[in-house]
Amino acid sequence: MVESIVLSGVAIGCIYALIAIAYNVMFSASRVFSFTAGTLGMVGGILGSLFILRMGLPAWAGFLLALAGGALLGVVTEIVAVRPVLKSLGQHLYVLSTLALALIVQQFAAIEWGTDAQPFPRLLDIARGAFDQQYWLPMLACVVTIVALELLYRHTLVGHAFLAIAEDNYAARALGLPERGLRLASFALAGAIGALAGFAGGQLLLAFFANAPMLTFYGFVPVALGGMGNNRGAIVAGLILGLFQQTANFLVGGIFASVAVFTAFIIVLLAFPDGLAGASAQRRV
Amino acid sequence: MTEASTAQGQPARATQWGSGAISHVLPFLVLLVIGLTLPLFAGGYWGVIATRACVYWALVSGLNLLVGFAGQLAIGWVALLTLGAYTTSVLAAGNVLPALDPYLALAIAAMVGAVLGLIIGLPALRLRTFYFAITTLGFATIVTQIALAWASVTGGGVGVPGPVFPPPFDSQWGFYYFCFAIAVVCTWMTMNVAASRFGRALTAIRDAEVAAEACGISKSRLLIAVFLFSGALAGIAGGLFASLQSYITPDAFTIELSVLFFIGVLIGGRGSILGPLLGTILLTVLPEFAAPLVAWSTFLYAVLLLVIVLAIPGGIAELLDFKSRRPLHSDRAIVPRPELLRRLLGEREDRGALTLEQVRLSFGGVRAIDGLDLTILPGQVHGLIGPNGSGKTTTLNVISGYYTPQQGVARLNEVVLTTLAHHARAEMRIARTFQTPRLVGEASVLENVMIGGTIDGQGSFAESLFSLPRHRRDEAKLRESAMLALQTVGLEPLAGVRTDRLQHSELRFIEIARALMLRPAFLLLDEPAAGLSAEEIRRLGALVVAIAQAGTGVLLVEHHADLIFDICHHVTVLNLGKMLAAGTPAEIRSHREVVNAYLGG
Amino acid sequence: MPTSAADPPHSVAEPPRLAAEPLLRISGLATGYGKIGVLHGIDLTIRAGEVVALLGPNGAGKTTLLRALSGLLPWSGGVQFDGRDLSGAGPREAAKAGLVHVVEGHRVFTQQTVFDNLLLAAYDLPRRERAARVEEALGYFPEIAEKRHERAVSLSGGQQQMLAVAQGLVRRPRLLMLDEPSAGLSPVLVDRVFVVVRRLRESGTAVLLVEQLIEKALALADRVYALARGSIVLEAATSEADLPHRLEQAYFAGRS
Repeated sequence: MVESIVLSGVAIGCIYALIAIAYNVMFSASRVFSFTAGTLGMVGGILGSLFILRMGLPAWAGFLLALAGGALLGVVTEIVAVRPVLKSLGQHLYVLSTLALALIVQQFAAIEWGTDAQPFPRLLDIARGAFDQQYWLPMLACVVTIVALELLYRHTLVGHAFLAIAEDNYAARALGLPERGLRLASFALAGAIGALAGFAGGQLLLAFFANAPMLTFYGFVPVALGGMGNNRGAIVAGLILGLFQQTANFLVGGIFASVAVFTAFIIVLLAFPDGLAGASAQRRV
Repeated sequence: MTEASTAQGQPARATQWGSGAISHVLPFLVLLVIGLTLPLFAGGYWGVIATRACVYWALVSGLNLLVGFAGQLAIGWVALLTLGAYTTSVLAAGNVLPALDPYLALAIAAMVGAVLGLIIGLPALRLRTFYFAITTLGFATIVTQIALAWASVTGGGVGVPGPVFPPPFDSQWGFYYFCFAIAVVCTWMTMNVAASRFGRALTAIRDAEVAAEACGISKSRLLIAVFLFSGALAGIAGGLFASLQSYITPDAFTIELSVLFFIGVLIGGRGSILGPLLGTILLTVLPEFAAPLVAWSTFLYAVLLLVIVLAIPGGIAELLDFKSRRPLHSDRAIVPRPELLRRLLGEREDRGALTLEQVRLSFGGVRAIDGLDLTILPGQVHGLIGPNGSGKTTTLNVISGYYTPQQGVARLNEVVLTTLAHHARAEMRIARTFQTPRLVGEASVLENVMIGGTIDGQGSFAESLFSLPRHRRDEAKLRESAMLALQTVGLEPLAGVRTDRLQHSELRFIEIARALMLRPAFLLLDEPAAGLSAEEIRRLGALVVAIAQAGTGVLLVEHHADLIFDICHHVTVLNLGKMLAAGTPAEIRSHREVVNAYLGG
Repeated sequence: MPTSAADPPHSVAEPPRLAAEPLLRISGLATGYGKIGVLHGIDLTIRAGEVVALLGPNGAGKTTLLRALSGLLPWSGGVQFDGRDLSGAGPREAAKAGLVHVVEGHRVFTQQTVFDNLLLAAYDLPRRERAARVEEALGYFPEIAEKRHERAVSLSGGQQQMLAVAQGLVRRPRLLMLDEPSAGLSPVLVDRVFVVVRRLRESGTAVLLVEQLIEKALALADRVYALARGSIVLEAATSEADLPHRLEQAYFAGRS
């Protein structure tokens, strides 16, 4: 019993962590939180099921197309919901514009795809076991993403440029860095990561339009607790969240588990409004 | 300087206020008449729609104060509708306790709504905007899930019947009039708040929080009052909703409904009552016009929200704001009338000097202020100058309470300032202006100046809800003082103009008028001359001198050497957070080190 | 190799190469922040290879002028650089044209290494040239060259300033704009930076130097402009007599 809690807790925690990373990447590029992060997860799951199950494409093709779909949504988010409101950050219009866009996509999915959860395909032709692919695929996705981001930020010039924009936007602009293009690329990257979360977690979460609001909330918890823009904090907090949720599920059952998670979240957040790692974690990746 | 400012072709004031008041109330009267006479021309079906609009408006009117006025993005406010609906239904049905009279159940729902509204709202005082928005969403989900799970009380997924109100409200039209009456009362109360100093204080918190603090507005006290009030309204709306539906289940309370309410406020526009009212009616009625669109309704609402945010952030209210489209005269002069200061400031007792003693303040590793002593005497203009980074504005911020020094104290007479809360300076009659004017752009000039006198009102929030006599007296006095303050600074003809239409120099003088509303013992001016023309600087200087002569101690932080040397009695020069020199302007002017440091050398 | 700091005051610099057309010509430039107008009609020219000092009291608009030129702020008026009209150009286009802005406050990317900071300055250069340009820039500042793989946060304020200037040099600018490079630096480090400015002039790079240190700036520059209250109040060659006094007068606009 304990192993299944740990397995499912870590797996779902990895999904939450990936959504949190999507939030963080968008935030680092624009100083703005976008409500579309959870929607990206939903899109990854639905596109995966659409391309592989409904249209019969091979798994790798469905994977790439799902990621591309996520990247596209990320780009649309930047152009439509973020760029126009960057000049009036004080009014917090980005909350409303990204909420509106997220709802548009969610509702479209609900109407066209349907409001029932649809099955998500098994991706690898391996027999079912205790340590099944539905658990280790999200973990693998999380590890790969972390490694890839690390390589990107540390060893490529574009990655350095992302860090520069996140640390000091004014100096980056003055230096001549292509701020707008880099921001657009960041949102595309965040889109792909969000879609990856939904795709890798598809066998756990299924292709379900209601994943969007759920991931929007649970994907944000690691951001709030780990510190804004702090990916390492997000991963740790995501795993803790996943384990806590699964444990609560087992002990008191679904709905009370949600209440427990939410209550714990609110209490911790009120005690540490800048996250457990504190404000100094802001510039870390 | 001595000519009275002429009303350049503006209509006479009395007519302006008169016609303004009527055009303000007219739309509400029209809606009132339509609402009262509805059964005469509308069938039963539309009666239900109208009832639903009234119920929604009961909730949205409160949410409007929260979102539109206070700027708190409570996206998950539907949680209170759920709570109110279930509380009323369960108490009226007698599942838990013996069945209660539905009116009593409704009243209890209001109280429960108030308390939960406070609980949901309190994180707003501590969390960032986005964080708060997400937590309200979480609340909404949790409340619905509890309704689903707590089957013994709420009937779980099966639900409970809604309360039925006794005759004459048990018929369809009877119930309509009941809801309509409540909607009218909600409109009246929120209009009262909007027009009161609390409403203005809310917009100040939303758009100019630091300035609001400097005026003595306590954000937490005010928000608590609004969360309680809005929560109560939402609770009542819930009870009415349950009655309207006749039967409620958890899936009636969706996030989509919550977003609908939110969009209603935003379509209507911030800081308006009429706008969100029309917005709510629009959103309730819209789905009825296109049956096939019902499935797409939330989609369309979201598109509408996006369009509004990007294209017309001001919403319907902005579209209806014809007054703000009338062109302003292009050559407007600001002509202060310092002779009015005695009347405005009144007789004040000498409160002693304002002193800083050995103040030290560091940010991270940087010593912003490094052992500073400063004394500002009443009746004098004290200049504070120095190169960039010398700590001038930081010093002013320490006095006004924005920063707390690590060492040393700021004192007014005997009272230590540095341990007081942010907003306590105003009660000590210390007022300030800001380097960049911090005003509520969408409010009129007069409203912005009235914000400065918020703490002098005696009526409570509850009194303002019902527009009780003491509150009305407060308002009249406040309005009179504000007009006098505007006359003093020379901006009276612009009193009714929307503030964000004005030039920078006018904004500066509005800030001074607002500061004068406190009848300050000490006035802190943060680079007031920046961006003013030479003539305006001269008039500013004369005004500041007159303010000092009336007994106020003025601290003038400035770059403009001319202004400093012209009007200051005493000048302190800062460099690297320490006092470099102090003395009369003549002494400073010829002080070699000062010239070098100030000019750079 | 740092040269001696004991340069003679008012050294007679070589006369600037007389080009037919100035490298930078500003006419009637106006700009501000939102509603606040800061600069009201600036006229200024800089010739190739000149060092021009821009002096003035705080709040006069010196930093604002640099921001407008590099495109960080919108402006109105006319700016011709190297024969091209700079209207609508942002910092990226300006740098490509040869106009580089080193902003005030030695704002380097503290979480990245010295080398990466310079590599970022070379973002728009072809990949194979980047490393060479970085080394070239480091050549001006041996003190930070030896720290190239340390993160910028471990550098002192003066070293960070040198790094910021080095970032500007990566682009081999025709005109380098330095905004108060001496702020917060010890005199020794200030001289180090000024030595580099001399080297730049010798190699034909023009420099627009905003400075608080009047005497050192006058010693270094060929010409000086004084800015006060948003307008140019003085223009002179540094060889002219009685400059410090005339500057003071200009700042206070004729008051005694």
